[in-house]
Amino acid sequence: MTALVYSWDYIRHLARGHPEKERRYYMNLNLFVASLLVVPLLLQPALTWVAVELTTVLSVFLVSFDNTPPALEAAWKYAVITITGATVAVLGIFLLLWGLASAGGSAQTWSALVAAAPHMPAAQLKLAFVLILLGFGTKVGIVPMHTWLPDAHSQAPTPVCALLSGVEVTTILYVIMRLWPVFQGVPGLFATRWLEVVGLVSVGVAAFLLIQVHDFKRLFAFSTVEHMGILLTALGLGPAGDFGTTYQLLTHGLAKSVAFYAAGSVLMATGTRNIASVRGLIRISPVAGVTLLLSGLAVAGAPPFAVFLSELSIFRAAVSVNEVWVLGLLLFFLAVAFLGIMLHINAMVFGQPSHPPSSTPGSLKLAMAVGWIPLVVLGVYLPPPLDHLLVLATHALRR
Amino acid sequence: MTGGFAANLLVDLDALVGGLFILSAFFLMAPRQAQGFLKHFVRQSFLLALSALLLGWLHGSVELLLVALITLLAKTLIIPGLLTRTLERELRSRREVELAVSVPASLLVAIVITVLAFVFVAPLLHGVGPTVDINLPIGFAVTLIGVYTLAVRREAVPQMLAVMAIDNGAFFAGIAIASSSAIVELAAGLEGVVVVLVVAILARTIAQHVGSTAVGDLTSLKEGTPS
Repeated sequence: MTALVYSWDYIRHLARGHPEKERRYYMNLNLFVASLLVVPLLLQPALTWVAVELTTVLSVFLVSFDNTPPALEAAWKYAVITITGATVAVLGIFLLLWGLASAGGSAQTWSALVAAAPHMPAAQLKLAFVLILLGFGTKVGIVPMHTWLPDAHSQAPTPVCALLSGVEVTTILYVIMRLWPVFQGVPGLFATRWLEVVGLVSVGVAAFLLIQVHDFKRLFAFSTVEHMGILLTALGLGPAGDFGTTYQLLTHGLAKSVAFYAAGSVLMATGTRNIASVRGLIRISPVAGVTLLLSGLAVAGAPPFAVFLSELSIFRAAVSVNEVWVLGLLLFFLAVAFLGIMLHINAMVFGQPSHPPSSTPGSLKLAMAVGWIPLVVLGVYLPPPLDHLLVLATHALRR
Repeated sequence: MTGGFAANLLVDLDALVGGLFILSAFFLMAPRQAQGFLKHFVRQSFLLALSALLLGWLHGSVELLLVALITLLAKTLIIPGLLTRTLERELRSRREVELAVSVPASLLVAIVITVLAFVFVAPLLHGVGPTVDINLPIGFAVTLIGVYTLAVRREAVPQMLAVMAIDNGAFFAGIAIASSSAIVELAAGLEGVVVVLVVAILARTIAQHVGSTAVGDLTSLKEGTPS
């Protein structure tokens, strides 16, 4: 909803003099949002895969909105890499459906798969798990299949970035999470170790890339790769990490949306995405400067924002299951990421202004204000109904 | 279910189709023109439809017969037609497309991938029916070869068809191991058409704005390039 509010002034600015382009944008945006809503509504894994593919095809023209060579390049990479990933994942789904049929299951639903998993051969579950993790993981942005993500986020219009990062990748991660109870049936620590290694590699690579990035929209894109890595690592911690996983999924979506909104207001105020070209933002546009600074702190996991609490919950889970090496690596990579994000944002916000003063349009302010409310509230207070909802969601992660 | 001699004949025919199917994945590495790539893709899709038809007949499965029909319509008629209409100039041009890796080297890699695919799938093949024995390893191998073909192609049309070849590989395995409802098959068939339509329009837009569909040459978004 905030993405639609934000689009009002932002897209009018981008599509100046081309009302047809503006109309096409809203049509594509609504279709994209509809496809995102369909994914969690479906009970059948095979149909969910079709919906996942649709989320890509319905957002390709949003990424290529500018029709510039870099935007078209980003859209092409986005389409080809993520569709390939999802196609590889479908083979994993077929293997699970085969196991389900062999176990005598007839209804092809999530719960039937979970019930049939103990009767499936371990080798079949392992191969299906690897195909699904790498396949859908491509669309989630895990390293090394993450290359489409910073490109698409640097080129797509800001409200689309907020949806891609805050909603789309989390929706696809939901599919992996939904299948997680099936793979908990794999004997030994095979699936757990895969999640932890893939998660930590993603967090680590993203953390170091955050330091060398030149484009502030790419900065938040790499932060998404980092957050997805944290989520996979948390999932690998087992039942102890379930609450942290669902909480982090929620806080990531909230924080990343407002971060991209802030980045978009900076882009409108300065006309550049280059970090080195933006200085003294707090004086160029106080709204853009303050929201960028706060967004940086929020996505980097600083208190009192919600991401801090969800990450703290994951750290506590790692301690409770005695995964000290996971905790140590996570803390180190998050410290590097925090440093990378805040060094860039600090340089942009303070200092001599690089551009003349500029005001932030009304719809951008409104979307950011609405987006910030839950992020701040959830940082200090978790309402009991939401807490209950998160606890219920954790049950879906368990056998 | 078909029994006796007819069943054995259908299994043997499926084995023959499987052999031709994996060869089609090797052939997809060779064409140097987009038109040639499309022809090989159509042949591969026809083999997928044929295998679905044989398995449908063997198991008396209406869903598999529907898969055969949808594959035949979507991948051998509608998708080639859409591509020809959307990217007519690119397909008709006799331009030699650039290969990132030479054809002999790619064939060698494909052989290694095929062997690895059979090794990976071998533990799943104990006590399964003959058609799973044929379709699962071959489908898995064609999926992996498709990923490799995608990685070494630098042109939009071959890349797009390599993605669809990966899809063919996954479904070649899928038709032998997983039965789905008619609605899933229909949705998957339609989804394939929509994917090709969207990606083909994007490729045409790239050709209009960049002057060619050599997507491998688009490298302005490399990390470290200031925007």
